[in-house]
Amino acid sequence: MKFAPSLFDVRNLSFTRQDNEILKSVSFTIPPGEYCAIIGPNGGGKTTLVRLLLGLEKPSSGTIHLFGTPQSKFSEWNRIGYVPQRSVLVDAAFPATVREVVAMGRYALRGLFGFESSEDKEAIEEAMELMGVSDLSNRLIGHLSGGQRQRVMIARALSSRPEVLIVDEPNTGVDIESQHRFYELLRHLNRSKSVSILFITHDIGVIAEDIHRVLFVNQTLLVSQNPHEMIRCDEMSRLYGNPSHVVCHNH
Amino acid sequence: MIEMLSYPFMQRAFVAGLMIAVLASLSGSFIVLRRYSLLSETLAHVSLVGVSVGLLVGLSPLWMAVATSLAAAWLIEYLRSSRGLYSDSILAIFLSGSLALAIVIISLSGSFNASLFSYLFGSILSVSNDDLITMGIFGSLSMALLILFFKELYFIAFDEEVARTSGLRVTLLNFMLVSIIAVIIALSIRIVGTLLIGALMVIPPVAAIRFGMGFFKTTLLSIVIALISVVIGLSVSFFFSLPSGAAIVLCLLGIFIVALVLN
Repeated sequence: MKFAPSLFDVRNLSFTRQDNEILKSVSFTIPPGEYCAIIGPNGGGKTTLVRLLLGLEKPSSGTIHLFGTPQSKFSEWNRIGYVPQRSVLVDAAFPATVREVVAMGRYALRGLFGFESSEDKEAIEEAMELMGVSDLSNRLIGHLSGGQRQRVMIARALSSRPEVLIVDEPNTGVDIESQHRFYELLRHLNRSKSVSILFITHDIGVIAEDIHRVLFVNQTLLVSQNPHEMIRCDEMSRLYGNPSHVVCHNH
Repeated sequence: MIEMLSYPFMQRAFVAGLMIAVLASLSGSFIVLRRYSLLSETLAHVSLVGVSVGLLVGLSPLWMAVATSLAAAWLIEYLRSSRGLYSDSILAIFLSGSLALAIVIISLSGSFNASLFSYLFGSILSVSNDDLITMGIFGSLSMALLILFFKELYFIAFDEEVARTSGLRVTLLNFMLVSIIAVIIALSIRIVGTLLIGALMVIPPVAAIRFGMGFFKTTLLSIVIALISVVIGLSVSFFFSLPSGAAIVLCLLGIFIVALVLN
């Protein structure tokens, strides 16, 4: 019987920047198909952890395996879609249509001479359709609302048909209604399209019903496979430290 | 017009000018979108160091400009990407430093003359057949690389970090782009001059962006604007005996103002 390798297998990962230890001996494994939330206080190392997973930072020590392959030898980056923090803050004058932005997700797959194949076209249309931005195809990205831009950025990440989507607090400048639609989209991707999700968020209560695992990052790491236990108000207050202000709500 | 094109020096000027127009506006689109416009101005000043060294030691000023411009482009990109220095600060240091160095070398060689003036502001009389061959070789190579990696450079201009996570070799492509820009600037000094080439790289894409189109159409419009400016600028230069670089840049400015008013 053959088992699919873990999406991420992290062992004793530490990261120090200018004598400041940001992550210390972090270890965790995320199996395929999971919807995983990364939470923790500001400056706790959430974004740094994601940047290390994506190879944007080099660890001080420790190992990272992506899909069973050591990160240094990993080349199938199309299997990972990434929507960074503040990705919706696009320069209004930037000359890029929605379709051009979504098509960028296919560029690394197209090779040197890079003509758009029928498979590329199909993947781009599919991602735009899924995110509901097909009718915005020829609009400039800078002319869209925050919520629309957010969906375009996710469509770009999805156009490479990734197996895992990493989303880093993408709700800056996005209205409440678009945020709710965004959470529904992530649930749909995970449940119906079998896309694994790694989601950095502060508002864990909203996605509590969807997630399988919580990584609490505050220099060190606490992993919980029982998210409902972890997001109890008293537990969150303990983790974030006192005095902290945890708003509990029932969505 | 026909009479103007019957002169061999004007034929050479037009071939060189049109080639430079396409290359400068195409590569300029990427640096404008990356808010890195001052790179062209800086490398133009650095290439003046190469010109002055060439005049001092009797080597080809064009080749020396290519060499110094390339070396500076690599050093600037290394300092920006690996040493975490602010790119505008690095450019300001290189710009003033290289100009100071060029002035000292020119003073030492006693070459404040008409030849230097043509390198500073461009001259339609100065393009030789050898220059055309050099421009043809390096220009074709630069053009091939820009077309081959057009989509990757566009992705990096839009979002360098995501481009990196998608598997593109961003560091290598960044070095390639600054190398191409360095070569184009060095090749342009005969026609546009070191002090004015920055405008040919920056103004066409900035004017084209005003029309609010996607990147492919914006780039095409940018090339058309550069071509029109070079044709009008060279013609004005011929009929009114003006420095070609200044005539081209004034034409570009006119188009930019029209684009600004229309949009």
